[in-house]
Amino acid sequence: MAYAGPVLLKRIPDDPAQRKLYRYADYIATGGYASLKKVLAMLPEDVIKLVVDSGLRGRGGAGFPCGTKWTFLPKDLFPRYLAVNFDESEPGTFKDRYLIDHDPHILLEGIAIAAFANKISTSYIYIRGEYHHEAKLLEAALAEAYEHGIFGQKHPGTDIVSHCYVHRGAGAYICGEETGLLESLEGKRGWPRIKPPFPAVAGAFAKPTIINNVETLACLPAIVEHGAAWFKTMGTPSSSGPKLFGVSGHVNKPGVFEEELGIKMSTLIEKYAGGVKGGKYRAAIPGGVSMGVLGTDQYNAELDFDIGRKYNVLGLGTAGVIVMNDKTDLVVMLRNIVRFFAHESCGQCTPCREGTAWMHKILNRIVDGFGQPQDFDMLAELCLTMGAMPGTTICGLADGANWAVKTFLQKFPEDFKSRLKSRQVQGVAGAGVA
Amino acid sequence: MPTMEVDGKKITFEGKKMILQACLDAGVELPHYCYHSGLSVVASCRICLVEAEHPNPKDPTQMIKIPKLIPSCQTPAMDGMKVYSKSPKAAANQKAVMEFLLINHPLDCPVCDQAGECSLQDYSYKYGRAESRFEEDKAKKPKKDIGPHVLLYSDRCIMCTRCVRFTHEISGTGELAVFGRGHKEEINVFQGRPLDNPLSGNVVDICPVGALLDKDMLFTQRVWFLKSTPSISPFSSGGENIFIEHNQGRIYRIKPRFNAEINKWWISDEIRYGWKFVHENRLSKLVVGGREEIAWETAEAHLDGMMRKAVAEKGPGSTALVLSAFDTTEEMYLAAKWIRSIDRQAWLVLNPPRVEGTDQTFKNPVTGAVTYVIRAEKAPNRRGAEKIISHFSGNTCELSDLAAKVAGGAFGAAAVVLDPVPGTDRAVETALTGLENLAVLSSRPTATTGRAALTLPVCTWAEKSGVFENYAGRIQAFDRAIEPLENTRCSGAIFWSLLGESGTYRSQDGRIMMGREGLPDYAGVTVPKREKKIQLMEFSPL
Repeated sequence: MAYAGPVLLKRIPDDPAQRKLYRYADYIATGGYASLKKVLAMLPEDVIKLVVDSGLRGRGGAGFPCGTKWTFLPKDLFPRYLAVNFDESEPGTFKDRYLIDHDPHILLEGIAIAAFANKISTSYIYIRGEYHHEAKLLEAALAEAYEHGIFGQKHPGTDIVSHCYVHRGAGAYICGEETGLLESLEGKRGWPRIKPPFPAVAGAFAKPTIINNVETLACLPAIVEHGAAWFKTMGTPSSSGPKLFGVSGHVNKPGVFEEELGIKMSTLIEKYAGGVKGGKYRAAIPGGVSMGVLGTDQYNAELDFDIGRKYNVLGLGTAGVIVMNDKTDLVVMLRNIVRFFAHESCGQCTPCREGTAWMHKILNRIVDGFGQPQDFDMLAELCLTMGAMPGTTICGLADGANWAVKTFLQKFPEDFKSRLKSRQVQGVAGAGVA
Repeated sequence: MPTMEVDGKKITFEGKKMILQACLDAGVELPHYCYHSGLSVVASCRICLVEAEHPNPKDPTQMIKIPKLIPSCQTPAMDGMKVYSKSPKAAANQKAVMEFLLINHPLDCPVCDQAGECSLQDYSYKYGRAESRFEEDKAKKPKKDIGPHVLLYSDRCIMCTRCVRFTHEISGTGELAVFGRGHKEEINVFQGRPLDNPLSGNVVDICPVGALLDKDMLFTQRVWFLKSTPSISPFSSGGENIFIEHNQGRIYRIKPRFNAEINKWWISDEIRYGWKFVHENRLSKLVVGGREEIAWETAEAHLDGMMRKAVAEKGPGSTALVLSAFDTTEEMYLAAKWIRSIDRQAWLVLNPPRVEGTDQTFKNPVTGAVTYVIRAEKAPNRRGAEKIISHFSGNTCELSDLAAKVAGGAFGAAAVVLDPVPGTDRAVETALTGLENLAVLSSRPTATTGRAALTLPVCTWAEKSGVFENYAGRIQAFDRAIEPLENTRCSGAIFWSLLGESGTYRSQDGRIMMGREGLPDYAGVTVPKREKKIQLMEFSPL
């Protein structure tokens, strides 16, 4: 554990007044694109090995080892594409936007490094539809990068010309799922694909494709600059490196903070986010609502990729922490979360399409005061049949909804049970509902 | 041959196949909605999920259990695999999916045309639960008129997207699409672009529930009253395989019958909706001289006499027989044999079938594979007719050449078999202008029947059996679906009795005769069995 100041946010000071947009010249002046220059003198295989050695895991949510993902590309299938997942639409997640708002070139450098290492001909930055400002920033930064020969050039030693484009989505959560993203990129409905074939073999336009998160790629310049061993000094053995944590909810100073992986959530909230606001800590969502909820006794949970196993949540996710104080109505909170999933379910698989909407209707009824005792078990059963039984759906959206509901029910059962009354007790008003 | 065990039953399969397809081919039923053998795999309904084990490639004596439920429609079958579709986990999923599908389904089976052949009903009995636990309001979705032949009841739809894939992959026209997202999504057409491609009726067949309904059949008959008779399309030279579905002597609809080499799972709308002539505007009286009605026995003798008189008066070669490419090969054989037995130099003429433009080919826009061809030639048996004519050889000519011969005055009489569907009468009428001794065998009144010396009402293809030979020379037999209209006979029966053969005419007797007399291709052709509809349910006492 040796975190010595920001890596990803090194150009973005804490004080909002001093933050500014780093254009190409500013970026170069602060050591930018030096890593790319260094990489271009290396062999692509060595770059991949460096990333594998660094233990860099995907920052988009699943935490899949980035270097390993790269090695899945078939040896002699070209062209290859890189899709950069900037669809950041998980509720509570805003880390990538914060980074690009001020330092877009760190992403472009990361893309250039990944493109060189994997002999990629075209990189697509798939950006969420609502990110108008960031799309413009990236377009401007890309123009600068092309002007200075970062893109539009052949990879040294090959005939492959590296290109990069910004592709704007239309604002669907499901397009953040990697194969949904590819479908959307191809101009189709963002319906996740059935696998196999996996994107590494037949991804965008049926060609081998890597999909990486913005933050994952933004880590690459630092890894190249300081080496894999340095990267591993940060974080835990299984989760190395620095991480952006977005803290929101009941805290005094919400925002994006950089720390190494494995820090305690309490540290994050108290040291960086100014402590819990308006009451005592009650619950927190570790990384986007699909990861589930941390209970009152899990305040000191270590935020790393092992969190799922240790604290009965799905995982670290995007590390967008949503803090809830003891005055929060968790039933209403869960209803809002499920409303999101019901709204964003793509509608392809039966269990997810029908299950999320059903859960939303049940929770609506509970919030309205017409919940019945059997609703608790019904919700728990829906969690199981909709998402928890592995393989019931094509993508993970249903599983995300299942974890959110399941962990709320498991960790805060009394909040729900106290709202549930049999119809006899509810009287005439309740009898009219169903 | 690789084998696989499904719920303890051994099945064999060939080549690269998905588990579900291998099971269906072997006659083992696994539940499925979105999967269709003719369409791409989307694996989205999730009811076909099964548990499976497969042998360890390194040590085949060891089985590896796949930890997840796997979609059988999308997972390749492997030699030695064991599939469990009735395991507790698989059954729990089937039960859950059924419940999910039914929560927003209106359950209006009593007024739904699909009831009785609905996968939702069948699987609900077999895999579902008896009561719904859904206490909320059902989603309400509208009914839509999406095309000239098809209605869409969105509220019954289970979003299997078979119809959407059909319009994208088979017809290549892409009228249908999914609109909206999640539980609010619906199938629809784009504004101003209705589902009006020439294959549109097929979406009704592939809809596993009652969402897409045929306007033609709407509310006319409950499907469990319908009897299915395997038949061949009588409207085009493709020889498309169909089922005639009928009840109490009335046809209600035509459905495609699977034939991998000809029409696969599909038929064109022209075939599907073309059967109306069977019940409309039919001829049912035997008329002599335009007025007098006679009985069949007298009529046959009259016909025979007409020809004999012409030969006696004007000598050999003064009679003609005009064949219709809508008749069966056996009937044409008997007719030709009859006329040649009277007049050895009788002219054999084919009424040329109507040809509409050129063949219309449908392709999958992505793969370029041909998915369906609508033949330009609108008659089922031109090849058969040509074969009979060349078999008898001797005097033959084109219909257009007949006019000159009639005008020359050498002709004494002609027997004409008219097409059952309108379109080619004018050519016959023109060719035979001025000929007095005209005997017409027709199923409907036309100008020719109006002026003929003898008019005999005959039955249509649905009321008889026989063989058609398609454009590629494929000989296919079909069965009689409904009883002939009262007082009509098939032309085969007429000539059978005129030839002095005993007993009732049956098409296989005709084929045996042809086989004996130099046309061996036909002797072995048999009518397909009347297939029972696939029984999905195994009833168990409650």
